[in-house]
Amino acid sequence: MITAGIDAGAATTKVLLLQDREIIGYRIAGTAFDFLTAARNMFDELLASCDIGREEVGKVYATGYGRNAISFADKSISEITAHAKGVLFLFPEVRGIIDVGGQDSKVIVVEDGRVADFLMNDKCAAGTGKFLEVTAKALEVTINDLGGLALASNHPADITSMCTVFAESEVISLRARGITKEDIAAGLITSIAQRVVVMAKRMGLKKRIAFVGGVAKNAGMIATLEKELGVTIYVPFEPQITGALGAAIAAQGEHVTPPIDS
Amino acid sequence: MLSTLQSLDIFKDSYELRIAELKEEREKGIKVVGTFCLYVPDEIIFAAGADRIVLCGGRTDTIPVAEQSLPRNICPLIKSSFGAVVDACCGGNLACSHVPLVDVVVAEATCDGKKKMYEILHDYIPTYVLDLPQKPGSHEALNYFLSELRKFGKFMEDLTGNVVSNNALRREIRSANETKRLLHRLFELRRRDPPPIRGSEVLRVMQKQFFLSPDQFRQGISQLCDEMEHTTPDARTGPRIMISGCPMAAGNTKVPDIIEQKGGVIVVEESCTGTRSFWDLVDEDKDPWKALAERYLEIPCACMTPNDQRVARIVDLAKQYNVQGVVYYTLQFCHAYNIERLRVQRALKKEKIPLLAIESDYGDSDMEQIGIRVDAFLEMIA
Ligand code: SF4
Ligand code: SF4
Repeated sequence: MITAGIDAGAATTKVLLLQDREIIGYRIAGTAFDFLTAARNMFDELLASCDIGREEVGKVYATGYGRNAISFADKSISEITAHAKGVLFLFPEVRGIIDVGGQDSKVIVVEDGRVADFLMNDKCAAGTGKFLEVTAKALEVTINDLGGLALASNHPADITSMCTVFAESEVISLRARGITKEDIAAGLITSIAQRVVVMAKRMGLKKRIAFVGGVAKNAGMIATLEKELGVTIYVPFEPQITGALGAAIAAQGEHVTPPIDS
Repeated sequence: MLSTLQSLDIFKDSYELRIAELKEEREKGIKVVGTFCLYVPDEIIFAAGADRIVLCGGRTDTIPVAEQSLPRNICPLIKSSFGAVVDACCGGNLACSHVPLVDVVVAEATCDGKKKMYEILHDYIPTYVLDLPQKPGSHEALNYFLSELRKFGKFMEDLTGNVVSNNALRREIRSANETKRLLHRLFELRRRDPPPIRGSEVLRVMQKQFFLSPDQFRQGISQLCDEMEHTTPDARTGPRIMISGCPMAAGNTKVPDIIEQKGGVIVVEESCTGTRSFWDLVDEDKDPWKALAERYLEIPCACMTPNDQRVARIVDLAKQYNVQGVVYYTLQFCHAYNIERLRVQRALKKEKIPLLAIESDYGDSDMEQIGIRVDAFLEMIA
């Protein structure tokens, strides 16, 4: 059966098509201001590019912040469940998931193929992609360049502000003091990584940890997390699609979740 | 969906009646005491021939008034309650109908925020503070609390001009125990699967426990129980949930409403608007003062240390009510309950009972975020 998963995130929408156990295509784009329109357009485009008719899609499941707005979905599931399903599909051995998206961050504990516990931060921009977006702007680089810059640093600057607004002015004053962009970038990434690491440790994550969400595309961030957690981290080929993938898997019915080796 | 129980109307319609009753009492010279907390024994107030009304606030609109005087980062219950009193005393327009009915406030030395707020409250309305030992497990603590209760008895005698006799106390202890037994009956019925009443409905009833007169309240509960015994509830919409944590004062039903809207079935609340108010009875055979002191010091409030009895009670309730998960509810900036969460979580984990922690205030801005967590939690434990 072909199923679709739609992850209607606050910042980006992701749609994915799954045929039994095979991903046939996906799309990622900004949500703009309307969850439903964004999802519908991307879904249609994806169907067209994969040459699949709407009637061939058995079930559509939605997830993400705007999931209840996706009126053409058959059902919606929470993003915690969706990410867990998506990640376990790609890496069945994973026991913990760190998801840092544009507007929130979450840590999920997985046991026996199911969510056992989770922690979310969605009240504050600190520890989310928003923090990097705002501070990168203060540094006059794009968020995509931040990771590369950070990797070139030997002395990460000390960013003490947890608050995104204060961190922005801190970046400006660090620049005024002549600290290099590389060191500031590394400082910013260390700051957000530490925030996420506290959440991960609070949840007792030790090893077999996957890192997903938009911020997982940042090589500097992966390196810093690996250093802080002392383990190698699993990062999917496309870290932003695990939510949509999980929704598409759920739409297939429970049987597609791969067996878990413990 | 559960059909709504008819007897709940008794509670809905009781508000005006009760306000009228209190007004009438005051005209006759009967003193009315305002209270905030479970540690202030109703029995002593009634034995002195006075009446009482709870002032604990769950309203949002009185918070800005409070924030003109108090720091922003204290718990919303404190701000809301303080704001209601100050607004009423300063002729504000928020129209809290309770405050103008009160001669004095009887407060208690519990958490830091309330303790210090009462000092300021005293500038607006006479406020008597009952002291509490913070480590209640010893004889010394019990004796100290006993002396505090006697002092409070004396205060009530001076206020009312009546004597608080042992006989009157015994009568009030029996009366309060009767209320507690009725609440046990109500909560016993909730152990059924599916339960015959929604948690949010029980909460709205419990919020009236210290507002209504004991007679009114008991009448309502007993009719409600009779009706519940004969209803056949529909199948459950989701997992059985227990709520544990901070009190939910009248006006605050946000989190239970969200849980139920998402399909969770709340079957018990470990809180001051739940089991803490009635679980333990007062010994009717002992010296009444001593019996009161013992019972009130047993209240498992997070202001006390150590608070092992609360942790044990939560685990016990979770098992008795056969819950699939616990929602640990705290008010923002309530350090006592927020910090105690970890011990509760660890104890529940040993029993393999999942916990979702929700810290919130009285505003609506986090409803979506709470909903996301609740959805995920319900999926997780389903
Ligand atoms: S939580 Fe503690 S301090 Fe607050 S009302 Fe209940 S018993 Fe009193
Ligand atoms: S909820 Fe906590 S902070 Fe607020 S009054 Fe009660 S004990 Fe104090």
